[in-house]
Amino acid sequence: MSDKTKPSFSKALFSGVLLDELVFPYPEMEAEEAEDLKMMQDTFKKFAEDNIDSEKIDENSKIPDEVLNSLKELGFMGLSVPEEYGGFGLSATAYTKMFELFGGVDPSLAITLGAHQSIGYKALVLYGNEAQKKKYLPKLSSGEMLAAYCLTEPGAGSDAAGIQTRAIRDDKNGVYILNGSKIWITNGGIADFFTVFAKEEIIDKNGEKKDKISAFLVTRDMGGVTSGKEENKLGLKGSSTTEVFFEDVKVPIENLLGERGKGFKIAMNVLNNGRLGLAGGSIGALKVLLKEALGHISQRKQFKKTLSEFEMIKEKVAQITIDLFATESMIYLTSGLVDSGEVDYSLESAMCKVRATEISWIGLNECLQMVGGLGFMKEYPYQRYLRDGRINMIFEGTNEILRMFTALAGIQERGQVLRKIGTALKEPIKGYGVLTDYAAEWIKGRISTERIQDVHKSLSTAKVQFETWAKNLHFSAERALMHNGKKIIYREMIQKRLADAATDLYAMIAVISRVDSLITKKGEEKAANEINMCTIFCDQAWRRVRRNLLMVDSNNDKGMSKLSDFIVEEKKYPFEA
Amino acid sequence: MNIAVCIKQTPDTETRIKLTEAKTVDESDINFILNPYDEFAVEEALKLREKFDGEVTVISLGPDRVNSAIRSALAMGADKAVRIKAENIPTDPNVTAGALATELQKGNYDLIFLGKQAIDDDHAQMPALLGAKLGIPAISVVVKLEVEGDKLTAEREIDGAHEIIECSLPAVIGAQRGLNEPRYASLKGIMKAKKIQINEIDAELSADQLQVVEFNYPPEKSPGKIVGDSADAVPELLRLLHEEAKVI
Ligand SMILES: Cc1cc2nc3c(=O)[nH]c(=O)nc-3n(C[C@H](O)[C@H](O)[C@H](O)COP(=O)(O)OP(=O)(O)OC[C@H]3O[C@@H](n4cnc5c(N)ncnc54)[C@H](O)[C@@H]3O)c2cc1C
Ligand SMILES: Cc1cc2nc3c(=O)[nH]c(=O)nc-3n(C[C@H](O)[C@H](O)[C@H](O)COP(=O)(O)OP(=O)(O)OC[C@H]3O[C@@H](n4cnc5c(N)ncnc54)[C@H](O)[C@@H]3O)c2cc1C
Repeated sequence: MSDKTKPSFSKALFSGVLLDELVFPYPEMEAEEAEDLKMMQDTFKKFAEDNIDSEKIDENSKIPDEVLNSLKELGFMGLSVPEEYGGFGLSATAYTKMFELFGGVDPSLAITLGAHQSIGYKALVLYGNEAQKKKYLPKLSSGEMLAAYCLTEPGAGSDAAGIQTRAIRDDKNGVYILNGSKIWITNGGIADFFTVFAKEEIIDKNGEKKDKISAFLVTRDMGGVTSGKEENKLGLKGSSTTEVFFEDVKVPIENLLGERGKGFKIAMNVLNNGRLGLAGGSIGALKVLLKEALGHISQRKQFKKTLSEFEMIKEKVAQITIDLFATESMIYLTSGLVDSGEVDYSLESAMCKVRATEISWIGLNECLQMVGGLGFMKEYPYQRYLRDGRINMIFEGTNEILRMFTALAGIQERGQVLRKIGTALKEPIKGYGVLTDYAAEWIKGRISTERIQDVHKSLSTAKVQFETWAKNLHFSAERALMHNGKKIIYREMIQKRLADAATDLYAMIAVISRVDSLITKKGEEKAANEINMCTIFCDQAWRRVRRNLLMVDSNNDKGMSKLSDFIVEEKKYPFEA
Repeated sequence: MNIAVCIKQTPDTETRIKLTEAKTVDESDINFILNPYDEFAVEEALKLREKFDGEVTVISLGPDRVNSAIRSALAMGADKAVRIKAENIPTDPNVTAGALATELQKGNYDLIFLGKQAIDDDHAQMPALLGAKLGIPAISVVVKLEVEGDKLTAEREIDGAHEIIECSLPAVIGAQRGLNEPRYASLKGIMKAKKIQINEIDAELSADQLQVVEFNYPPEKSPGKIVGDSADAVPELLRLLHEEAKVI
């Protein structure tokens, strides 16, 4: 895959440059693809209605074989395989919409399908050579082979660069000998195809030996691949999660994926891609549970009124709706960027993942709250969606790590200007993301613009709020960099605020663009609900942005750190009332 | 075996129909689907094709949007498609039947399937009208079908019994739920369907003899009532079902 040539909207935002041409007009799916997508969705909906019993899947901790087999036959394993290899080559937008549907119907199933195609065989699609693709993609697409993505190890979770699995190259016999173990691998117990990241010794250009990560395509039939027992999990119980052991596995050298030593970049780029599917699945789950809760609150009477008449309930319904709308706007703006090609979207997909998994978690919890004690009961789906949704904030990059990535990658653009800091900033990010330099070059040629293009008058307040706070993000990022210098890499509380501010700003522009395009299409009157949501969301968002940015300069971070150090030292809560 | 399936595009059963000020149906937000009974018709045609070989042609009448219902049938596995172009789907089933019959006569079909009724206007007249216009037997509300040589045996649901009817081909069959389990359109089928050209033809429609004067919303249902939530409530529930709702 070539390095993307156009810069990221959000990275430029940190630098005070508003690349509005990237986000206007709001992307729209072509009619033909939209029709295909609808038919695929209809097929899945019908199939699910007749065959998928999520309560049973959760209860038995297993998706029935017949369900998986039927889904294979119907073609749902080949969504991201290009057509020439027997798949359906969906665009990022259509793919994400499919995962929204899967995530709503059954999160265990969504993750099984996602581990297979969002991450399991995605590296092969992105980096495989012709022979590798020809050999494996048709079987992966038909579901004859199921795939898993093997990065995490007991000693290397967030710090994935610290993996210990080792590949030793034996040129004489044309193989790598692979040894090591991976932990918590989705589809670990049912997959036959594994994208494995391992270290190998490489001699660099200075003639020195260095351990570097490479990626390998491993199949169970190579021998020496075994799976541990199924983990007993809080949620996603129907999905398979196991350890996977590699013991003297002979991996043919032709199964090396991409270049030697470039495995880490491959691993990270696959996750960049996968995060949109996960974001889609998260909001899909919330949409479904909201529907369930709405059914209850419009029937249930207390105090001689239906619950839906009470203001505190209305607030919940409205907030969930606004958060869904804003997050959905971010997700499909980003998938549109992916589909337009040649745009750096690593920051945006990270922001979508963080925001979607969190509004989903909060929203699912509020749905449970709205139905009262009933939500706590096993025979209702609320507890299951909540359990299933919890992991989303942890895997495919924890939300902490993704916030660091967002902030540091954002300010790194500015750091470029201050040469030394720029280089220093790159170090920590290397541990969990891939950075590119080109955008800084690109941005240098642009004068900072403080205004975005005109939008419909009903959105003008939102537009000004965005412009004002976009400028302030730039100033705050700049100040944080000046004050902290290289140490900014340790100031995670500041990073978090910058990341959250940038995410809110990206959400604002996504909503403004979406609603503006909608007004152009349907007219102001028909877009009344959307205009209302845009107004409310942007008002809520700029206040959060303001708070976060004020706290970049004025905060209790020192006191908080000190306290935490003390408590950790004490090993417990030491105070008594 | 040469088989035709006449299909109709209808609103999704979950659609909340909105009326315009002129009391016509507002189509702008409707999710249209293939009429569910027509799915049984398509499935039965496909099964017979798999058994006897041949071809399945789907025929539909209506505006451009109808093509998506046609694609659904093609994605299930039908071979060919014809759309009789019309600005609207006529109110009067007789008009549609006339145009369909004209098209069907060109095809020399051994069997003509359709759903026993469309879930939107619920006329349930099409099987009979087509049989009459084509001068061939028509059997509707069919739950089981067997074809042998140039004869068929159909089982129909009637109140409290099943009626078994024989006739010779060609014939018109109106499919009822239970006739089969319609297959899901596979992703391969969907991609394949895209490549099939829908043969769009112009037709002279006869004049509508029926006219919808206006649509009205059904009277609002009174809200449900919760009688209680333990076994103690059962007698009261029984009393209400008997005396108020009068259903038992
Ligand atoms: C159900 C399930 C399925 C999974 N599927 C797969 C799979 O298919 N393939 C695969 O390779 N892996 C998989 N994983 C592993 C998953 O990606 C890791 O759990 C995740 O990366 C976090 O690593 P960890 O659990 O070791 O936590 P740790 O890295 O130990 O982190 C613990 C906590 O510390 C925080 N933290 C860590 N470093 C920092 C820092 N620098 N600053 C601030 N906070 C920090 C983290 O955010 C987290 O909150 C799966 C995990 C689960 C539970
Ligand atoms: C595990 C468990 C143990 C329990 N133990 C006991 C027990 O020992 N003894 C006992 O008597 N009860 C017990 N309960 C019942 C518990 O007290 C009720 O579930 C609780 O009072 C809420 O009532 P509800 O579930 O009927 O919810 P509802 O009253 O239907 O409320 C549903 C939602 O609507 C909100 N709501 C209701 N009215 C308004 C309003 N006017 N304005 C805004 N929001 C409103 C509620 O806050 C809630 O979020 C238990 C429940 C559970 C789940």
